[in-house]
Amino acid sequence: MSSALLTASGVTKRFGSKLVLNDASFDVRPGELLGLIGPNGAGKTTLFECLAGLMPMDGGNVSHREMFYVPDGIRPWPDQRVEWALEFVASLWNRPRQIAESLKLEPILRSRIGSLSKGEAKRFLLALGLLTPHPLLLLDEPFDGLDFRQTRDVMALLRTIPAEGRTLFLSIHQLSDAARVCDRLILLSSGRVVGQGTLDQLRVQAGLAEGGLEEIFLALT
Amino acid sequence: MRLLELIGKEWRELAASRAYWLLLVMIGPLVGHAFITAVESYADASAGGALPQGLSPLDGILVPTFGAYDIAVTLLFPFVAIRLVSSEKESGALKLMLQSPASMTTMLAAKGIALIAGWLIAWVPGLIALALWRIYGGSLYAPELLNLLLGHLLRVVLSSGIAVAAAAIAKTAASAAIATLGFTVGTWALEFIAEGRGGWLHTVAAYTPTAALRFFEQGLLRLNTALVMLLLGVAGFALAGAWLRDSRDRWKKTVAVVVASAAIVVAGSLPRAAWDLSENRRNSFSESEEAALRQIHLPLRVAVNLAPEDPRLADLDRNVLSKLERILDRVEIDYTSRTRSGLFEGDRYGEVWYEIGGRKTMLRSTTEPIVLETIFKLAGVAGPAQTGSETYQGHPLAARPAGAAWIYYLLWPFAVVIGALLEFRHRS
Repeated sequence: MSSALLTASGVTKRFGSKLVLNDASFDVRPGELLGLIGPNGAGKTTLFECLAGLMPMDGGNVSHREMFYVPDGIRPWPDQRVEWALEFVASLWNRPRQIAESLKLEPILRSRIGSLSKGEAKRFLLALGLLTPHPLLLLDEPFDGLDFRQTRDVMALLRTIPAEGRTLFLSIHQLSDAARVCDRLILLSSGRVVGQGTLDQLRVQAGLAEGGLEEIFLALT
Repeated sequence: MRLLELIGKEWRELAASRAYWLLLVMIGPLVGHAFITAVESYADASAGGALPQGLSPLDGILVPTFGAYDIAVTLLFPFVAIRLVSSEKESGALKLMLQSPASMTTMLAAKGIALIAGWLIAWVPGLIALALWRIYGGSLYAPELLNLLLGHLLRVVLSSGIAVAAAAIAKTAASAAIATLGFTVGTWALEFIAEGRGGWLHTVAAYTPTAALRFFEQGLLRLNTALVMLLLGVAGFALAGAWLRDSRDRWKKTVAVVVASAAIVVAGSLPRAAWDLSENRRNSFSESEEAALRQIHLPLRVAVNLAPEDPRLADLDRNVLSKLERILDRVEIDYTSRTRSGLFEGDRYGEVWYEIGGRKTMLRSTTEPIVLETIFKLAGVAGPAQTGSETYQGHPLAARPAGAAWIYYLLWPFAVVIGALLEFRHRS
């Protein structure tokens, strides 16, 4: 197995007296599709922002930050058009703008970013992330706001990305989505990593002979 | 070439800002009203028997016309600058930009350049006023005009720095706007308190935006004022850089910028080079008097017992002390009055003591020739035999502001509204 693309050890973050991340340690391996799983408020977004260097950590280390993080729920440059934003981001990294076709963005290229629906905005953000050249891409809730068909299409697209040599690290609160798309999972609960590995490995950690991710999560938390 | 791409982005964001279009719409009538009033007043003074020597286009036309920009840069422009930072924070675009290959310095430089470019477009009504003034037959003296424009440019750099820093520190655009306006009001209060007090407070108050601009409006280019305005503006951007990225050493950087700013004011105030660029040499003694004063190398100490609200103090400061500070190697001024009005201060109120090389003398007069004669005597230097040979002749002009109302009250707002509609239609 090749060496880790990212190693986080003992990542800790407090907001005042509240411990949001508690000694979180894990690694991200090249070419995998890794899921960060946890309910709302588990600390997934905070962890991603710490990893991306957008938020200072109170403790711990993160080695290798060659990554790009796509936050959830943002509407960058809401007065501009989608096509301009794609061209702008592509030009920042001297990359060709080809992703629009695969994400079915053609119909919204001339729309104002602020006028996009939640699903459209999600696909637009995903496109921005995919335009960057980083070997590791952190996507915060990439399926949130997408309908069933869009979720299926985006999952299919994301499954092709590791084959192109990039690694994906997704934060997902829908356990069913996570089980369908991820190679490996990190379970986060109240800022603590309570389990990590493949579904089978997590079952062993949870002491379950069978059962889905939901049962595993409940058993470990 | 990321700077160019970022400037392009900032320019698009500026053009998408309703605050910027509102500023453009309002600046026309503001400048127009100031210009039309100034031309009419100048014409009245020219036709009404005012001494031609007192009719200077700098005072009569340029300063009041461009004074409209001082109002705009105080009350309108900060919203434009704040929006350029706050919208990026609030929309989440900042999180993407912080991960881009562009450095924080490049990103902030792009914002600064776009803001100044936007402000230069807002100068168009002012430049039209200059063209109209020339068409009416008015005179313009290039050095004092360029100096005034430089002052207004530095004023907007300073204002941008303050607004951008406030937008970076405050959580919302509204809080940033309140902080910026609070800062402006604070500088006005500082000027008021420091008036006629001397010392460090007086020195600091000379670099508040309004006070600093006043030197340029008087046709004076002071190296220290220009430097401090520029560097404080840059310090504002540096402060913004410290706050736009959430980092553990944010407060350390803030303290470093504040300490550096204080050092800038102190160090920037040291260079005493200054050039009187006014056509009528209002900031200078006559050349022969200045030649005589340059022979004095001992420090001059002045103790002024005049209160800030006493008009004689303003006369003395403007006509004598500020000129002496430019010419003599060392001038120390001590303002000894302890009240604002000077009432009930006793018999010694009104005394001004001059001391050179241990010799002292007291004067109550604030008239320039009398003070100069006293200083020459104290220093043992022969005064000039003849003064006042290079008298300014003035530029009287009794012209009416033909066509200006049409341009400023109708054509300009109409053109800006059409421009805004086209811009927003293009985006919708």
